[in-house]
Amino acid sequence: MRKKQESRAVKDSLASVCERLAGLAKKAGASDAEAYAERSRESSVKVRDGEVEELQQATSKGVGLRVIKSGRLGFAYGTDFSLAGLRLLADRALALAKGTAPDPSNVLPKTLGRAPGADGDYDPAIEDIDPAWKLKAARACEKGAQGVDPRVRKFESTGAGDFLSWHAVASTRGSAGESRASYAYVYCSPVAEEGGQLQTASWSDTRRTLAQLEAPEAIGRIAAEKAARMLGARKVKSQKVPVVFDPQMAAGFIAGLSAAVSGNLVFKKSSFLGDRLGKRIASRQVTLIDDSTLEHGLATRPFDGEGVPSQRTPIIEQGVLKSFLYDAANAKKAKARSTSNAVRGWSSLPGIGTSNLFLESGDQSPAQIISGVKQGLYVTAMLGRGADVVTGDYSRGANGIWIENGELAYPVQEITVSGNLLAMLEGIDAVGNDLDFRSSTVAPTLRFSELVVSGA
Amino acid sequence: MPAPLLPLALVEKLLSAAMARGAEFGEVYVERATSTAVSLDEGKIRSAQVGSVTGVGVRAIRGAQVGYAYSDDLDDEALLRTAQTAALIADGSRGPGPVNMARRPQPTHYQVKQPLESVDVSRKIELVMAADKAARAYDKRIRQVMGGYADQTKEILVANTLGHFAEDRQDLCRLGVQCVAFGKKNERRTGFYGGGGRVDFRFFEDFSPAHVGREAARQAVATLGAVPAPSGPQTVVLAPGWSGILLHEAVGHGLEADFIRKGTSLFAGKLGEKVASELVTVIDDGTVAGGRGSLNVDDEGNPGERKVLIEKGVLKGYLYDHLNAQLTGQKSTGSGRRQSFRHAPLPRMTNTYLAPGDATPEEIVAGVQRGLYCRQFGGGQVDISNGNFVFEISEAYLIEDGEITKPVKGAMLIGVGPEALKNVTQVGCDASHDPGLGTCGKDGQNVPVGVGLPTVRIDNLTVGGTGP
Repeated sequence: MRKKQESRAVKDSLASVCERLAGLAKKAGASDAEAYAERSRESSVKVRDGEVEELQQATSKGVGLRVIKSGRLGFAYGTDFSLAGLRLLADRALALAKGTAPDPSNVLPKTLGRAPGADGDYDPAIEDIDPAWKLKAARACEKGAQGVDPRVRKFESTGAGDFLSWHAVASTRGSAGESRASYAYVYCSPVAEEGGQLQTASWSDTRRTLAQLEAPEAIGRIAAEKAARMLGARKVKSQKVPVVFDPQMAAGFIAGLSAAVSGNLVFKKSSFLGDRLGKRIASRQVTLIDDSTLEHGLATRPFDGEGVPSQRTPIIEQGVLKSFLYDAANAKKAKARSTSNAVRGWSSLPGIGTSNLFLESGDQSPAQIISGVKQGLYVTAMLGRGADVVTGDYSRGANGIWIENGELAYPVQEITVSGNLLAMLEGIDAVGNDLDFRSSTVAPTLRFSELVVSGA
Repeated sequence: MPAPLLPLALVEKLLSAAMARGAEFGEVYVERATSTAVSLDEGKIRSAQVGSVTGVGVRAIRGAQVGYAYSDDLDDEALLRTAQTAALIADGSRGPGPVNMARRPQPTHYQVKQPLESVDVSRKIELVMAADKAARAYDKRIRQVMGGYADQTKEILVANTLGHFAEDRQDLCRLGVQCVAFGKKNERRTGFYGGGGRVDFRFFEDFSPAHVGREAARQAVATLGAVPAPSGPQTVVLAPGWSGILLHEAVGHGLEADFIRKGTSLFAGKLGEKVASELVTVIDDGTVAGGRGSLNVDDEGNPGERKVLIEKGVLKGYLYDHLNAQLTGQKSTGSGRRQSFRHAPLPRMTNTYLAPGDATPEEIVAGVQRGLYCRQFGGGQVDISNGNFVFEISEAYLIEDGEITKPVKGAMLIGVGPEALKNVTQVGCDASHDPGLGTCGKDGQNVPVGVGLPTVRIDNLTVGGTGP
């Protein structure tokens, strides 16, 4: 009997699973209910010396149910889409809601009548992708890396894969929608070796469509060049110098910074940017945008994790702090509007997170930015978390290339860069023209006028 | 014994299917996990959640090639398709050998009488509320408290074509509290504390929620008014416990057998060589009673072990999972772990600690003229190839003329694994495991781990701060 229900559930759309679950919860006594479900298909290959090292393939699914009863919140999740499985979730979520505290901010967004944004890119070619494509791409990538430098012979890993996902949300407050996304990726992490020193680097590309994906050979080549140029890395003396972050490290910087504009931390007066709305917090060259409607964006979606239509939110415009980011509950507390930044999976409650987060391009080439530095550091890899958005402190392990008289001179490692986040934002004195949307959080090359480098 | 997670006849059928194209090794891993989480913010229990996920992962290996597939759909046909997908790694045909499916009980390293999933959620809520109350009562400058309790009861079944068959129930819980202290002129400092392990609620009778709340609050208040940490190389004294993350990052990851086999770790080919000061003996122990990283069996069905990795400074061994042991003619050390059935196993640490020495903590501090005393720690990270590691210091003080003096902020330690361990000049007699907080990430897979360290002095370690 159980089997029969399972097979019916499989045929049902994700949206109808969500609607049914929200309805069951309402019937069981919830004042409000919201279900969020995902289904995904992943397939990947890793290669080593031209041979398959690992093939992985799977489909998975899950659904999460948020209920509110008398202002109290409960949440339950599972992977069983049968009627019995959904009923169990409704009962569990409602039982849990008895133990939590009532709070007026326990609300679902009212989205009735608001049109969702555009769906992001979906490439049917990925749906029907020939498994041989991934193997070919991964091999080409490895080969590209092997052709760069005789000192690059070892690999951490090289691979390619694709990922398809479908999402749906339904709530008793009018949220209803379904979306889908496709991704293809190629990556390579080679290890260069000389005189007993090992240096690893990695390069990858992820896109929503196959046509946009960078050539696998080029990904391998760039990764190998990055590893090889670090050979012979040494420590430098502690000093204060201009520091240039390459685009990947700059992206890491804004990712860390983004927690400071979370409406939740701000409301609790626990963000170093909390009292700066409308004020200048960064150099005029800094414009930071979160945009879930971005064309071809990796994180583009019609609505967020609780069904709020997607939108473009300028966070910093020419150095002025313009907006914090909100989901429905934190917006209610702060008397603000949701900015469509509820991020979640089916096994978690929504929290505030970014979609396509990017720092707008400037007008200098990376070479121009480096050429303006007499003595300084070009950072290409980092270790540790870095930004502490409560205290405003920043300190991170760094590897990179030392700059002398405007040119990249020699590789350095085992150093840290440190600063105060507000001073760092103020001190951004060059923004590159090399913005590339190869990830959901991206930035161009950035130069900080002065940071503390700790080393020997 | 309760019924197995999957009928044994079906497990055998899946193993056959995984081997049907000529693989040399087939494995079925079944997991049922029930998780509960409670979160508190602004003095209120914000949410309570519970979830159950059951799934099956099937692995087929031929030579160094791995096929892996998984399913959360548990009907026979879906599982058979999963096994057939994993089998695609091979392209011949072969029947599997006989598989011994005898169920046998094993010794337990866990301290769990009552499974956590059967503890009423109201008791979990009480823990968090008690911790919140104690944190707020500690000092009026504690203005934000975020608390959380999370547990998981995970049942696993692993069977492979070598005849391994194992079942285990792995309970795990953790209570944690983060506090923000508000000082003058917008100053904010944070404190974090918590603990747990493979334990049941008897654990919280000694390790009380009030203690957890007070300690998190103490850290936040203690560092108000801190001056910027000094920058550059110095003598560093690490307080015992969670500081063991130093070992985890500086050597542990570099001894995992996948990096060794690929030759991408700086510890590859160094067995028998001196890689640390002779005061350094490093042990990875999956049998610590109630330890967060402890395992009766690993996720490949091999028993948890105590392994000496470095003995008096000399490299003695690596951490092996099945695949990497097989390919290099070694035996598994019970180190094959995975985050869930959605992941193929990797060689990982369990509880990693430094054996105690004979110095007292007091004499270690007293012997330092100028240096940094690191009392509480954040996270860490390592680059396996060049050995560069960092770890964050959340509570640190200057040492001046043998005395612990002013608090400093924003400190970060950076070093190269073997160099840092060669500079260990004193090891305390106060060995201590961390309270049960750690989660280790590798290749996108998170697993719970334990660490431990006595008070230790390291000379000439680079401190990344902004001060003079």
